[in-house]
Amino acid sequence: MSQDTGPDERAVKPRSKRIRPYTLTGGRTRARHQLLVETLISVPQYDPALAEKLMPESRALYERARSQVSIAELSSLLTIPLGVVRVLVSDLAAQGAVFIHPTAHAYSHDRNMLERILNGLKQLPV
Amino acid sequence: MRKILIVGSGQSGLQLALSLQEHGYDVTVMSARTPDEIRAGWVTSTQCMFADALAIERKHGLNLWDDVAPRVAGQGFSMAGPDGQRALNWIASWDGGPAQSIDQRVKMAAWLELFEERGGNVVIHGVTTADLNGLARLYELVIVAAGKGELVQLFDRDPSRSPYTKPQRRLSVSYVHGQESRPERPGTTDVWMNIIPGVGELINIPGYTLSGPCDIFYVSGIPGGPFDAFADRPPAEEQLRRHLELFRQYIPWEYERAKNAELTDGKAVLVGGYPPVVRRPVGELPSGGFVLGMADVVVANDPITGQGANNAAKCAESYLGSILENGDRPFDREWMQGAFDRYWEHAQWVTMFTNAMLQPPPPHVQQILGAAQTNPAVAKRFVNGFNNPTDFQHWLLDPAKTEEYLASV
Repeated sequence: MSQDTGPDERAVKPRSKRIRPYTLTGGRTRARHQLLVETLISVPQYDPALAEKLMPESRALYERARSQVSIAELSSLLTIPLGVVRVLVSDLAAQGAVFIHPTAHAYSHDRNMLERILNGLKQLPV
Repeated sequence: MRKILIVGSGQSGLQLALSLQEHGYDVTVMSARTPDEIRAGWVTSTQCMFADALAIERKHGLNLWDDVAPRVAGQGFSMAGPDGQRALNWIASWDGGPAQSIDQRVKMAAWLELFEERGGNVVIHGVTTADLNGLARLYELVIVAAGKGELVQLFDRDPSRSPYTKPQRRLSVSYVHGQESRPERPGTTDVWMNIIPGVGELINIPGYTLSGPCDIFYVSGIPGGPFDAFADRPPAEEQLRRHLELFRQYIPWEYERAKNAELTDGKAVLVGGYPPVVRRPVGELPSGGFVLGMADVVVANDPITGQGANNAAKCAESYLGSILENGDRPFDREWMQGAFDRYWEHAQWVTMFTNAMLQPPPPHVQQILGAAQTNPAVAKRFVNGFNNPTDFQHWLLDPAKTEEYLASV
């Protein structure tokens, strides 16, 4: 049995140096992006140079998200399957290129916020 | 940095993702569920892992439960005789060290979080073929490790390697607290395989779940027999009640230590059954792209021999080796077939052994099980075969070799 690879080893194992810096820092929040169909995204600061470099699908998403848009709308407007939209948006978010607006899910532990959302829902004209 | 997409967040998918991450690959994992949803879900398997598979996890620093999980020291066999007594009852320990079973709700949730903490990309989404069609060309390699759902249909059944077309057992599982150890082995934690000829099997596996150490009842019923009693998918408490009633009637020695057991939680039961199948490893997408199937997507054995999680670990490790050795060359169709062939070198023996165990034991196997009762060397070799099933070809899968072996001990 490999007694030499006990649990202690993983604590001192150095992180691979080939991981891109942005994946270690911001961009990605600790909680993964919950890209629900209704999740809204937008581009905080449009960067034409970045747009130039993106793949066609990502570029179309990036352009469309200059005004706030939901994941479901992106999928239907650009006729890209939902799963693909989610992957591409995650990548753009990791680069800080798009902002993912928090949904109620992000506040699932914040009672005050949930009450505010509930009040807002009750006031919606149906 | 090579871009790889892994669809599925089970033993094989996450183990490969985490080990590729170690080597600096840019890996995206698509999981149908978040870690919290995995923890809050139903149990998914029994996942007993033996020494060789555990050594792979340890090599990659993924053995996060060694200090808390029960160390499963040995594996025993009991066979019911016609009078309700045990015709066979013997146990041996593994040469390679203890086994371990971590509830996948615990392990996969933690591994998914670990992968993300280390900078991996996780996308929460149940993937469809249409999604893959769009995604394949964004990645250099797409691996499908989601054993359930429509993606499996991308991979054709290989009839030459799949002798069965129907499920050979009906499975039902309960995770419990409060089971006692066998009176003949006080204070120990062992796997016990109880065989009731013509009815099915109860495999008792000490495990580790959300609420700590537990025992897992794995009940495997021959279709149409008395153990095939869960098709109505009863509520969890009712399922355990039926399990205990079956033990009382058919496996009284197990009932005695199980009678005070309680479910570990409200989602600690599972009912299932599927035909064992081997599939062709390369799937072709409508777009013309190719994807590689992994673990039980391509080799799905009946769980009777407890090989599923072990196969998953070994498949992921084998694929890791094939990926690293491919360097910067393209992951084309030939490479995919080669990666699978390398895994199949091992998996074929697991499949052959497992398929054999689904049949009533032929005379030469009965001889082995009987000899093990009095000869510890035979018992040990049989038990060690669960850790490394490739050994069975040399002495168990062929009556002539069995005869030769038995003459030598």
